[in-house]
Amino acid sequence: MSGHNESILREPLITGDNITYAKITDDILSPVENKPNKAWWIGFIVASLGALLWVVAVSYTFWNGIGAWGLNKTVGWAWDITGFVWWVGIGHAGTLISAVLLLFRQNWRNSINRSAEAMTIFAVICAATYVVSHMGRPWLAYWVLPLPNQFGSLWVNFNSPLVWDMFAISTYFSVSLLFWYTGLLPDIATIRDRAVGTRRKIYSIFSFGWSGSVKTWQRFEAVSLILAGISTPLVLSVHTIVSMDFATSVIPGWHTTIFPPYFVAGAIFSGFAMVLTLLLVARKVLGLENYITMFHIESMNKIIILTGSIVGVAYLTEFFIAWYSGSEYEQYAFINRSTGPYWWSYWMMMTCNVISPQLLWFKKIRLSIKATWILSIVVNVGMWFERFVIIVTSLHRDYIPSSWAMFYPTWVDISVFVGSIGLFFTLFLLFLRVLPSIAIAEVKLLLKSASEQAKMKQIKEGHENKEYVTEYIESLEKFDSVKQEDYAKI
Amino acid sequence: MESNKKYWKGLEEYNNTPDFVKNNKNEFAEPLPIEDVLNEAGLSTVTPRRDFLKALGFGLGAVTLAACQTAPVHKSIPYLVKPEEVTPGIPNYYTSSFNGQSILVKTREGRPIKIEPNPNAGQFFRGTDARAQASVLDLYDVSKLKAPALVKDGKVEETTWAKIDSFVKGELAKAQAGGKKIRIVSSTVSSPSTNAVIAQFISKYPAAKLVQYDAVSYTGIIQANQNSFGKAVLPKYNFDKADLIVSFGADFLGTWISGEEFTAQYTANRNYKSLENKKMSRHIQFESGMSLTGTNADTRVPVKLSEEGPALIALYNAITGNALPGGTLGNNATADKVIKLVAKELVQAKGKGLVVCGSNDVSTQILVNAINAAVGSYGTTIDLDNPCYLYAGNDAEFNGLVAEMNRGEVGAVLFLNSNPVYDAANAKAFTDALAKVPAKISFSDRADETATACDAIAINHNYLESWGDANAYEGYYSIVQPTINPVFNSRQAEESLLTWADAPVKDYYQFVRSNWEAKMLPAVGLKWEEVLEKGVVTSAAKPAGAYSFTQSLAQVATSIANSSKAFKGGDQIELQVYENVPMRDGKNANNAFLQELPDPVSKVTWDNFVALAPKTAEKLKVKEFDVVSVKGSNGYAVELPVLIQPGQAQGTASIALGYGRTKVGKAGNDVGKNAFPFVSFANGTMQYATNVTITPTGGYYELAQTQTHHSFEGRAVIKEATFAAYLKNAGAGNEKGEHKNYDLWDQYEKPGNNWVMAIDLNACTGCGSCVVACNVENNIPVVGRDEVRRRREMHWIRIDRYYSYETKNGDVTKEKEIAKLEDLDHVSVVHQPMLCQHCDHAPCETVCPVLATVHSSDGLNHMAYNRCVGTRYCANNCPYKVRRFNWFNYWNDSRFDNYLNNEFTQLVLNPDVTTRSRGVMEKCSMCIQRIQGGKLQAKLEKRPLKDGDIKMACQEACSANAIVFGDSNDPNSEVSKALRSERIYYVLEEINVKPGIGYMTKIRNTDTTVQA
Repeated sequence: MSGHNESILREPLITGDNITYAKITDDILSPVENKPNKAWWIGFIVASLGALLWVVAVSYTFWNGIGAWGLNKTVGWAWDITGFVWWVGIGHAGTLISAVLLLFRQNWRNSINRSAEAMTIFAVICAATYVVSHMGRPWLAYWVLPLPNQFGSLWVNFNSPLVWDMFAISTYFSVSLLFWYTGLLPDIATIRDRAVGTRRKIYSIFSFGWSGSVKTWQRFEAVSLILAGISTPLVLSVHTIVSMDFATSVIPGWHTTIFPPYFVAGAIFSGFAMVLTLLLVARKVLGLENYITMFHIESMNKIIILTGSIVGVAYLTEFFIAWYSGSEYEQYAFINRSTGPYWWSYWMMMTCNVISPQLLWFKKIRLSIKATWILSIVVNVGMWFERFVIIVTSLHRDYIPSSWAMFYPTWVDISVFVGSIGLFFTLFLLFLRVLPSIAIAEVKLLLKSASEQAKMKQIKEGHENKEYVTEYIESLEKFDSVKQEDYAKI
Repeated sequence: MESNKKYWKGLEEYNNTPDFVKNNKNEFAEPLPIEDVLNEAGLSTVTPRRDFLKALGFGLGAVTLAACQTAPVHKSIPYLVKPEEVTPGIPNYYTSSFNGQSILVKTREGRPIKIEPNPNAGQFFRGTDARAQASVLDLYDVSKLKAPALVKDGKVEETTWAKIDSFVKGELAKAQAGGKKIRIVSSTVSSPSTNAVIAQFISKYPAAKLVQYDAVSYTGIIQANQNSFGKAVLPKYNFDKADLIVSFGADFLGTWISGEEFTAQYTANRNYKSLENKKMSRHIQFESGMSLTGTNADTRVPVKLSEEGPALIALYNAITGNALPGGTLGNNATADKVIKLVAKELVQAKGKGLVVCGSNDVSTQILVNAINAAVGSYGTTIDLDNPCYLYAGNDAEFNGLVAEMNRGEVGAVLFLNSNPVYDAANAKAFTDALAKVPAKISFSDRADETATACDAIAINHNYLESWGDANAYEGYYSIVQPTINPVFNSRQAEESLLTWADAPVKDYYQFVRSNWEAKMLPAVGLKWEEVLEKGVVTSAAKPAGAYSFTQSLAQVATSIANSSKAFKGGDQIELQVYENVPMRDGKNANNAFLQELPDPVSKVTWDNFVALAPKTAEKLKVKEFDVVSVKGSNGYAVELPVLIQPGQAQGTASIALGYGRTKVGKAGNDVGKNAFPFVSFANGTMQYATNVTITPTGGYYELAQTQTHHSFEGRAVIKEATFAAYLKNAGAGNEKGEHKNYDLWDQYEKPGNNWVMAIDLNACTGCGSCVVACNVENNIPVVGRDEVRRRREMHWIRIDRYYSYETKNGDVTKEKEIAKLEDLDHVSVVHQPMLCQHCDHAPCETVCPVLATVHSSDGLNHMAYNRCVGTRYCANNCPYKVRRFNWFNYWNDSRFDNYLNNEFTQLVLNPDVTTRSRGVMEKCSMCIQRIQGGKLQAKLEKRPLKDGDIKMACQEACSANAIVFGDSNDPNSEVSKALRSERIYYVLEEINVKPGIGYMTKIRNTDTTVQA
């Protein structure tokens, strides 16, 4: 790869001068190899307090029963499944980045895939905890697995979307974990090689004896490709199946064929927002501006505009179909969403998911780190409300008016959700400390071809078309990590 | 590059010994001992003796150590001498009576667990009301006293019967000797044997007298009949003979005299069988508060309490052409119009009309008598010759007692089945007067309000532990027999009285038996054992005579006009205090089943409230659940939350009696507020209406309602038609759109039975006794007020109640249109029992991940509790929302301490139905234990199952026969016939879940000319 030059028109994926392989390793491993700074400690304490809240709330639920939540005879799912779908959705960006973008040879993914995949795994863990904790008898959760059992021929119900869900989520988790870990092997080996003492021993075990030989690298590439191939359909299938929990039911507002694509788009939408939320902070705090550049941020923002618009179209389509169907229950469900007792959650969803991402059409906003960060949070708030709207407002007023009811969360509902966020961040912050947050090996691949310094060299060599060079230099204006004066000299 | 160095494995290689050269070619240089192991000897190696002993020793030691732990000991004691009639697992049924109604008590292994109506009761056979169904729980009430008690300085100290007897006898003798009066205060005694006991008691203590008083009194009717016809009785009303029923505030389907009986009579003229004969009665209700009866009326006209008298006068004038003064209804144009039309119809219906009035005012009832006489009701719809003995209380006599006590004339007072300190109108005056009585004895089973004000509590048996009898109507005698040995150290009140009277026969069983053998049995030629088996003795009714009314009504009209004028208007609100269906007069307030049974109209549980019309609330500037202070003209004030009640007459308010008990027990203490002090004594009777001022307090109190949305949004969930339209087309209102069905699923094979149900919306009155019957039969947990507020009541069957508003442009049923309506007074109501529909394409079944809910081959949707992991997906996907989730371990959680949290009360559980643990879904099982029981019975008797062999608990309790259950594979079964009715529709059939319960359209016999 290092043998040829990349077109000067492509924006650099690594910025900064004097970037060497060693410097990349040093930069990326600095949080792993040094004592954590104050910012990390503050974050970690807050997050682990959240995780503690989660432990308390979930234990309270286990001890007393699901009655600790605000659910009732009409609304059997609320914050629990809202949280579940939200977390699963967030996970999707990681898989999309690591698998789909790999297959499409989008090299810019190399700097963000590691964190995104870690985020996937932690998000799926958070989602999975909901799967278990929302059950009335969580100690029997294994009954949804098709295990051989002592009950004779008692099997699971393969008609039930919850069984599909179980397959989907467990497959998703294992493949994601495998993919992530495989990618980590060369980097763990790097840490091992630089570490001493116990650390070395530990990393040595976890590096699975990575030798760095050509053969190893070749197999590594092959495995990555195969896993990417397996993961790619999962990006589509997992949230499709999650959406079928609703789509295959008879409840107006759930019983909708548009759900699979709509859910997948929503998942990617929220996932990218979460990647941005995390990386914008990590980049600053860990000093990784040269590897996660404005180009990355802008690219992700563009994906958010696209998926946000798909989601918006889906919302409008649902409304149109409700009217067009002529079914009074369906029509009522949608009128109730927008004007019923939960109107505020519907409009919260519309504002956050449909209107706010459209702001990203403005280049200024797209390139503003602050605005992007705020919008990324707004999007995830919106996506939480989307699931809340789908689940609660559909259930609370379905067919028989006598059973219409309101849902009010209890402190336990809120604590389980807030706590799951704490759990997620605890895991993520620990990840930042023990594993490289950027795929070192994969970033190194880009250094000789797609880095700013490589392109600078190209320009200096003077083989390039002047017009292109000017265009290239102009495109660098948005980079906060590029020193413009370097180019003024040329 | 090749290395020249050579490394040897050993000297053998270096020396290249022949052995090495030979073996080096093999994979293993030395032979592996595989052959040795696999040969015969290797396989049959015997364990050495020592090893065996070692293993044996270790094993023995380990087992011994493991066995050292004390295992829990469960005592299961077999019968030493097995009672002949008790077979574990097989229920026994005993006849008995509850409040005068003959019943069957189902016992299992000696425990009474369920009440059923007694099919031997002949013309008096009908369903059972909620109280009767719930009464088994009272037997297992832990709040009762466990032994008789003496009360000293307000402290209740348990003691022995000997001490009680010596105390009471001493006091009675003292009173007798001192020339003081002895009074037995009792609610109406309708038991011939009890009356005989009291007679014996009086013969021993001539100073004694029985004072009967009913918390909710019917003295007005009794005295009016005395006045009009010389007969001081409560007549027998025949609603089944009435084609036109006009009721003025009488809740005859609910709480008035004998609701179950009237329900059966009333629905006989309105149910599907009657409709098939093109016959349906008409019912017009004038009332201020919305009663259960009002919700069933064809036309309901809200009238203020002050307008009730004038309305009756107007009706009388319109029928007879007389011109009694005071019959103007100037402010209520609707009532005025309807009265005139009703008068015409009543005259036309000659002899087939019936006018009833809920008032306890003598003058008002005399006027009602005059109207009924004028339209020829006596001898047909009203029978004075076979009177009802359920209520004989005399308000004036009771009031006289207070005066006697105040004057210090009373030496001893005994309270039998009465609690005047709580429920007397003038409870304060009564309590003060009571303090002046030297000896006060209560027969209460618990230290209730009156008992704690007494000196001795001679705890009485529960009726399920008692001997006795009842005489509800002329010629209708029923037996009360014990179904369990007394649980506590209680003694039947009658036996106590006999003991204190030093009667020759103190054993009450002997007493009842000899009383029956002497008086009742010779006439019917039955033996005692036969009566015990049958439970009831009925003799042919006497011919009902026609009575004419001859008195002058001038004085009556003046009295009515004065009562009407007593309502001041202006800022004053006219308050009606009434009995609601679950709580009645509050005697059973500690019954958790009744507390959690939603009031059929308001759907409120565990509280009473102030019902106000929307307009009145607006005027008073209060909203729903605002706490208001209600101050009566006698100065009594309570703070209660407001409930906006559509159909409530403007300017009136209603508060239910029976709440606010303070000493009844864990479940019933401090539930709601006591409204009895609003009752006043005027014109010789108790009056249940008064003036109040209502002022907001600024507080807020959320009532626990099981239903919070009250309109059906124009959905096909409810289908209704007028009787006129029905006569033209039996399928009126049930027009089915043309649409094709596509099935993704295979049909289930139902080779044997296919259990289904038909529910007649025209018969169902919404009373809710099915709900309690289901609770008792299926061990359904009571969850308490807070959980109901969170919408988590567990009822498997519920009654959905919908309001629709009558306007010129038809009925309005949609929330958003209702919000724009001006007139919310004219409301029509429909009740719809809703339970698991046992869909053939059940949406719950497809979504359960663990197959915990599956379809059976006989058309049922099963629920396997043990398999349920509690994802609640099935409940979400149930379009009828009939699935109930065990949010907590309701039967074993100290936070739900009003129900089963003790081993004693757990004895009420039906052993055929498992209790559900927390985290498990449950729902109507179509009483699967009854289906299996019925099948087994038929099998044992070697015969095919007959239609009617199996009855659902809800069906059995229903007096209206609104629920028909059976096998649809049998084309001749009653349910198959019912399901062929053109009125049948299936709720939400358009979503093709194929429900198994057919509903029959609601038919209203409205006349557009009477329509408000």
